[in-house]
Amino acid sequence: MPEVEYVTTVNLPPETIWEFVKDMNNWAPMLTGYQKHEIIDDTDSIWTLKGDVGVLARRVELRAHVTEWNGPERVSFTLTGINEEVDGGGTLSMARVGAASIAPTSNASTALAKPEGLFRKMLNGIFRFFFRLMHGKGPERAKAGAPAENASELRFVLRMDAGGPTGPLVNAMLAPALLPAAEDLANKIAAHLEKQHAA
Amino acid sequence: MDFFKKKRKWDLEVDVVVIGSGAAGLTAAIAAHSGGAKVAILEKAATVGGATAVSGGVVWVPCNHHMSEVGIADSRDEALAYTKRLTDGRSSDDLVTTFIDAAPQMLRFVEEQTSLKFTALAKYPDYHPEFPGGKPGGRSLDAGLFDANELGDWKKKLRRSPVFGMTAMSVTEATEWGVFSKPLSLPFKLLGERYAKGLVCYGGALTGKLLKAVLDRGIQPILETGAKELVVDEGRVAGVRATKANADYFVRAKKGVVLASGGFEWNKKLAAQFLGGPLTHPNSPPCNEGDGLVMAMSVGADLGNMTEAWWCPSLVIPGEEYDGAQLNRGDFATRSLPHTIIVNRRGQRFVNEAQNYNDLMKPFFAFEPHSYERANLPAFIVFDSQYLAKYALMTYMPGRPPPDWIPKADSLEALATKIGVDARGLAATVQRFNGFAREGKDLDFHRGESLYDRFYGDPDAANPNLGTIEKGPFHALEVHPGAIGTKGGARVNGDAQVIGASGAPIAGLYAADNVMAGVTGAGYPGAGSTIGAAMTFGFLAGRHAAKQ
Repeated sequence: MPEVEYVTTVNLPPETIWEFVKDMNNWAPMLTGYQKHEIIDDTDSIWTLKGDVGVLARRVELRAHVTEWNGPERVSFTLTGINEEVDGGGTLSMARVGAASIAPTSNASTALAKPEGLFRKMLNGIFRFFFRLMHGKGPERAKAGAPAENASELRFVLRMDAGGPTGPLVNAMLAPALLPAAEDLANKIAAHLEKQHAA
Repeated sequence: MDFFKKKRKWDLEVDVVVIGSGAAGLTAAIAAHSGGAKVAILEKAATVGGATAVSGGVVWVPCNHHMSEVGIADSRDEALAYTKRLTDGRSSDDLVTTFIDAAPQMLRFVEEQTSLKFTALAKYPDYHPEFPGGKPGGRSLDAGLFDANELGDWKKKLRRSPVFGMTAMSVTEATEWGVFSKPLSLPFKLLGERYAKGLVCYGGALTGKLLKAVLDRGIQPILETGAKELVVDEGRVAGVRATKANADYFVRAKKGVVLASGGFEWNKKLAAQFLGGPLTHPNSPPCNEGDGLVMAMSVGADLGNMTEAWWCPSLVIPGEEYDGAQLNRGDFATRSLPHTIIVNRRGQRFVNEAQNYNDLMKPFFAFEPHSYERANLPAFIVFDSQYLAKYALMTYMPGRPPPDWIPKADSLEALATKIGVDARGLAATVQRFNGFAREGKDLDFHRGESLYDRFYGDPDAANPNLGTIEKGPFHALEVHPGAIGTKGGARVNGDAQVIGASGAPIAGLYAADNVMAGVTGAGYPGAGSTIGAAMTFGFLAGRHAAKQ
């Protein structure tokens, strides 16, 4: 199963990042590939997204299910393909630099906190991010110096697994696209926040 | 243009400028360089390979030296008789003779000058193997696999096919593994490993090996540099004005310019102006917009074969894109396998569905004088659950329910209503076809009688191309007019020099591939005819230009 992890340091505390990230409207515009979505209930929704498979772009429909909502530390989710034999999931976590890193949880066994009203916004952003498998250069960030005292570690763990007989081949095609997608979004969030708070 | 009177400085000066980086352009570059010329290749796209790179990469060469390795004999007379018949009078016999004689030379030259070592495809028949001079196999050649890592930094600049390029298997392997009839038996783990390692196949392998040879000669294709205009000095083509980074880029060609920039299938204006039928869904990269044709026309080139294309039926997965445009998937097998038919809006069959893709398309354009409509457009491929249980439908593997966007119904009548086809007509057609399928003989269109048909069929079926359509749910997909390229363009002589309207060669100007008036005229002799002819005239052009 192709799985990538991308970690970047943001010179802001986890609470500040969470305040930004928990509202999808803040960062959804940073994503591409989104076509449409339909909310089913508080934890499930159906998404139509466009992502790269090898050299072509395809529309993919996925059922998304949130398995953990634990701000300002972590949110986890699973994905199940509707029109393609593909499954996946991921975790977005934030931790203060120097503190013990938060290990990604294995989704299903984690107790699901009530996501409340912000859940849907968060969910939207995450799944749009997940399929941001389009081309595009990442944002310019200021050259990294020593992390500030209250800096945070922003971590994305993403995984996709194509099923069926063609799974091994499709996974080989998906794998190279996952890390750039994770890097791109994480860096855009970081760049935006650092610029905003430097002002 | 008064280029020299202004004494404008050239940005680059070489002997031979090649426009386009498909198999024709790369072969022309190698041939010119081998003849001692300094060569530049201009490529409009950001990647190398053009339509060749997205193709099957097969090369059709009659009388090739690999045929004996697979025990198939060939002769010049057979090749000439077969090819001339297929031109349908739309190419000169002299040019066909040039092609038949030069193609084996080209093949040996390419194998000597590059890492290409072809394999004759013994089981891949000519597209009319029953015609006099036709062969059951051997004229079509496989380029094998290529490790794109050999290209170093150029690896990422090799164009990848959205269809053939997704599975790193040679044509030989694909044939042995039953890529059409037994998709579940393909070794997907091995294919995934090959993909991850950077192995490419089909057109990617052919282009990759040619590109490697070009790079080894110190020629680096100049990408994202589209040729716009031929520079003429005192009646001779002396160079090219291209656009590079939104600025003019002038390249001097002391010995010649070779147009090898592909067809005009993505240029709606030219397609409507010239083609014999509505080409709505081309299968090539969208950058094939007829740039070379327009340049040739602008210096007075005589044109030929303008109504023709390398036609190919297209199927579409909505929203699937390649190079920013809808991907139109050429259909080579769905229509040839059992449990499928193609019908028009009356619900009637009108062609042998397993016919080769070029000839198959022509009845689609049948004109109705009384209505001024095309009798067989739109057309639909109709199939049942038996098909879906056994065979792949584009990228959807057997045994899976097809996606919801594909029209589906429990009865043929309901399906007909959904797709706007006459229900009674469809029911009658299917009833008659099912009778043929049970008897194993298509009395209307002879589907499955040609060795070619059976190559794309299911060898384990009672008749490789026939099967009843009787187990619901029933499905239908629109079949769109497509083409892997146009094949009308500048007429050339035996040295691939472009001929002017006056009948004399235009000094300094050459053409190959789909820029030139296709040597095979209306026909498609066998797999790789496009590339075989393209490379041959590229070879002739490069060789002749270097001698100037």
